[in-house]
Amino acid sequence: MKVILKITDDLLRSVLQDLRRRHAFALERVGFLLCRPDALPGGGLAIFAGAFHSVADEDYLDDHTAGAVMGPNAIRKALQVSYNKNASMLHVHIHEHKGKPSFSGIDNLETSLFVPDFWHVQPALPHGAIVLSKDSAFGKCWIPGADRPQEITDFLSIGAPITRL
Amino acid sequence: MNNQISRRLRLDRQSFLGPNSDQILDQTRAATIGLGGGGSHINQQLAHLGVGDLLQIDPDIVEDTNLNRLVGATEEDVARGTPKVLAAERLVRGVNPWARVISYRNRWQQHVEDLKLCDVIFGSVDSITEREQLESLARQHLIPYIDIGMDVHEVENGYSIGGQIAVSMPGRPCLRCMGIITDQGLSEEARQYGAGGGRPQVVWPNGLLASAAVGMFVKLITPWEGAVKFPTLLEYDGDAQTLFPSNKLPYLENVRCPHFSELTAIGDPFWESKKH
Repeated sequence: MKVILKITDDLLRSVLQDLRRRHAFALERVGFLLCRPDALPGGGLAIFAGAFHSVADEDYLDDHTAGAVMGPNAIRKALQVSYNKNASMLHVHIHEHKGKPSFSGIDNLETSLFVPDFWHVQPALPHGAIVLSKDSAFGKCWIPGADRPQEITDFLSIGAPITRL
Repeated sequence: MNNQISRRLRLDRQSFLGPNSDQILDQTRAATIGLGGGGSHINQQLAHLGVGDLLQIDPDIVEDTNLNRLVGATEEDVARGTPKVLAAERLVRGVNPWARVISYRNRWQQHVEDLKLCDVIFGSVDSITEREQLESLARQHLIPYIDIGMDVHEVENGYSIGGQIAVSMPGRPCLRCMGIITDQGLSEEARQYGAGGGRPQVVWPNGLLASAAVGMFVKLITPWEGAVKFPTLLEYDGDAQTLFPSNKLPYLENVRCPHFSELTAIGDPFWESKKH
């Protein structure tokens, strides 16, 4: 199944800038892209990123089992944003290297636990998680009714030039 | 010479557009809405560039009054009542037989599903209302929309020609921000709804505006080194024969578009109410 994520280059730049800020104790930052979906002809899905929700400094847990561990307030606030804005939510973080990134074992475990929680507030919308590298991206999308998450097949940054991540 | 060599050689002189630019162009889908004076020039240039997927939509047939500017159309098309899209498709296939062309002889609003898949949409339409609708569709799907417009006005001592090329980039100033779409313009158009008579049009400004629009398209699609920044609004003074970056640009650089800033302006607004 073709799943496309489109984001403007301005928004992508501001997401990267935000996620690269140092945190007092967390080793990396995470956030959420607020998106809206549309069906593509032939059964595919397009997801359009429209805004970014940054996890607040105080909502990280001082827990080094992962680069960044979100506390309950981080999830609660993201759920609230999804509900208020009618948004599909894509969790986002960075792996600072070039080339195609992938989820770590802990990324796979954590995302499969918390992403479906967004269906409690937006049951009809797809939600997901992505990881950005310096020049590429990888992600999965949980679509209502589907038995397992779908890999996002195309990442497009819309600017001049339009770039395929 | 075999087909593959011929195909490669024909784009040889534009290899400066960047590594793999021919593949990038071949994999690009561009839509041209309106295959009249401006759109026919755009379409022809897209064919020469080697754009692989072309979607062309126009409801009209070729008429006598089109032949002063419609690139590729002939007397015979007038006699046969050839749809403009078929005249355009014939021209494209003559230049680039590998192009995958989809032509629809009706209104673009009937082909929204096809338009969703486009990388860039060109609008060469007469009405402000249609411009607004097309831009909304493009914004909804984060598709750059390139609009060209030309007008011949009657003035005291004759006629004056003006026009513009505008690139409406998702997340950046829109046609309303640029002053191309205004409530006054929409009201005026609504008042004249159904009024007969064709507006004056002529070939060379169409060609000039279309060429500049295609230049902007190339900067959006290829890794051409010059593609870092370009003016998103060019104005044309047909009397002085000049094309120049709009003096609105410094102001537009600081504008955060209020017309398409909401999350609801993107994606399918009725997603939740549909079965998936």
